Amino acid sequence: MLELYIQTLHTDEAGLETPAATRERLKSSFPAGAARRMTQLGMLVGTCLRPLSPETQDTIVYLSQFGESRSLEAYLDSFPCASPTLFQTSIHPGGLQQMLIGRQIAIGTVFPLSGDAQLVSEGLVTAMTAESPRVIICGGEERGTWLTEHNAAAEQSFAFALAATQERGDTCIGTLRINEGDVNAPGLTLLDWFRLLNTRTPYLGPAGAGWNLDLEWH
Amino acid sequence: MTASDALPHLIDSGCLTPFGDDIATHRALIEGRLAIAPHPVLGAEGGDSVPLALLPGRCLDETANPAWLGPLRTLAGRFKDGGWGQPRRPVIVTSSNFGVGSLYAFRRADHDPGHLDHGTPCSSTNLLRRHFGWGPDVTIYSHACVSAHLGLLQATRRVASNTADEVLVFSYDFLSPFVTGGFHALKILNEGFPAPYQRRETGSIALGDGAAYAIVGRRKGDFRLTAQRVYNEHHHFTANRPDGTGFRRVFDELGAAAKGRRVWLKGHGTGTLEAGRLEAEAFAAVFPEAPLVGWKGSLGHTLGSCGLVELAIAVQCMRTRQAPGTVGTQSPCFTPNVATSPLNLNAMDSVICASNAFGGAHAAFILSDA
Repeated sequence: MLELYIQTLHTDEAGLETPAATRERLKSSFPAGAARRMTQLGMLVGTCLRPLSPETQDTIVYLSQFGESRSLEAYLDSFPCASPTLFQTSIHPGGLQQMLIGRQIAIGTVFPLSGDAQLVSEGLVTAMTAESPRVIICGGEERGTWLTEHNAAAEQSFAFALAATQERGDTCIGTLRINEGDVNAPGLTLLDWFRLLNTRTPYLGPAGAGWNLDLEWH
Repeated sequence: MTASDALPHLIDSGCLTPFGDDIATHRALIEGRLAIAPHPVLGAEGGDSVPLALLPGRCLDETANPAWLGPLRTLAGRFKDGGWGQPRRPVIVTSSNFGVGSLYAFRRADHDPGHLDHGTPCSSTNLLRRHFGWGPDVTIYSHACVSAHLGLLQATRRVASNTADEVLVFSYDFLSPFVTGGFHALKILNEGFPAPYQRRETGSIALGDGAAYAIVGRRKGDFRLTAQRVYNEHHHFTANRPDGTGFRRVFDELGAAAKGRRVWLKGHGTGTLEAGRLEAEAFAAVFPEAPLVGWKGSLGHTLGSCGLVELAIAVQCMRTRQAPGTVGTQSPCFTPNVATSPLNLNAMDSVICASNAFGGAHAAFILSDA
């Protein structure tokens, strides 16, 4: 059994909010002028991540099935004069790096994951086999436009960030455990996972093929 | 020493480049041959001529039935009987671009919805799962040009934590106008051919097709991976901290881990001037006696797969006791330890393999005789 103790959690359910509305809502969380250059996912993840005060010795596990969908769409539409800025921000894990570069926060180990039915379970396995005392599990999606119509981008925007430790401590708000399970069981999607976190809902069941999750809140 | 330093062996590895498999690629590099050649940067849409290394017969423009799938199937034939993707035998897939060239083709070229079957990281990986018969236990990591290093690191952790017996790490990156257009827009993919670590006026990179695999587990192999280290400096999206501390952070730790070993160095060396100088200087400071080589002057930069492609070539170097020099590079170089001719490895027992990526991500490990 692999186990981690949740110490801090922040979520943001932007849903169908436009990037402009998200920018207006969250711009005070970032240095003046920085929000103008950030993507919607970058702002959402950055807002959730900042209160966790990431440090160099942390491991960060970043989960996003589609990543920087809006940048990807805009970059594709910038051809034949390809935009270097959109190229940079379309590359995984741009949504995570925007806040960390903006605040010049070095991190030892960063595992950016993608995937669908296995994304959550493999992200948890990655986090629980990390060798640092504290692991930050964060991620999210930004709603696309034409890519969404082709199931190549998310339908809703959201983000989460939690800090978890190997030691329970006095401030523990939840426990994550994973065990080997049924290889044919369906997986939790990233949106399923976000909803569990956002509503602090307990869960006991399959997380992905071969893995069961036990999520408790204290 | 960390827990993941203790256990894993590199049981098998292999790669695919425009020269062929790891044996053919090693031989071509020893002979100083170039896989790169001039191609229009946007394929059928034209544009400036830039150095690219494409698999034989593959054009830059993506087809709805991806032309890279057949060569990947051949590569996958080397480990087809592993029961991969099942519990205890997971697969880790790493790439920077996956099938994103298909999204470019859909949006910019023929609008064929067949492209959309494999345009995202997970749909591209699911295409591989279907064709290679993998089970569902597949993890996808994407961290630009250190992606493969992360796959290797997590593979050793899965084995060390006893959540897997053996892990297949599979990495692939194939070029498309999406990626060539991006690097061209950044002005580092230009008409010049790369000369990694060479002191000259203008930096140039080349890009290349590449795929590779490695199997990590407890079974004894001929080689071991140790001291896997990563560090993300987060100074700038496309530049390293100008004092080179990102490189030094990783190399200093490897220097301590490599004490007593007789090492040679396989660097990242894309052909950019600033990153090449910082990497060469950091290597020379920590390993002043060790020769440094890089192979992207011939193969081009195979992006997210480069760490695994170059690992497979390094394994072939260790087997033959001969390593290619820094193909495409001539004196003067940034540091005196840059080797432009093949190395005799009879006196060496280990190689340090390093990569770095956008966001100031650095990764390296020691490959040594078991």
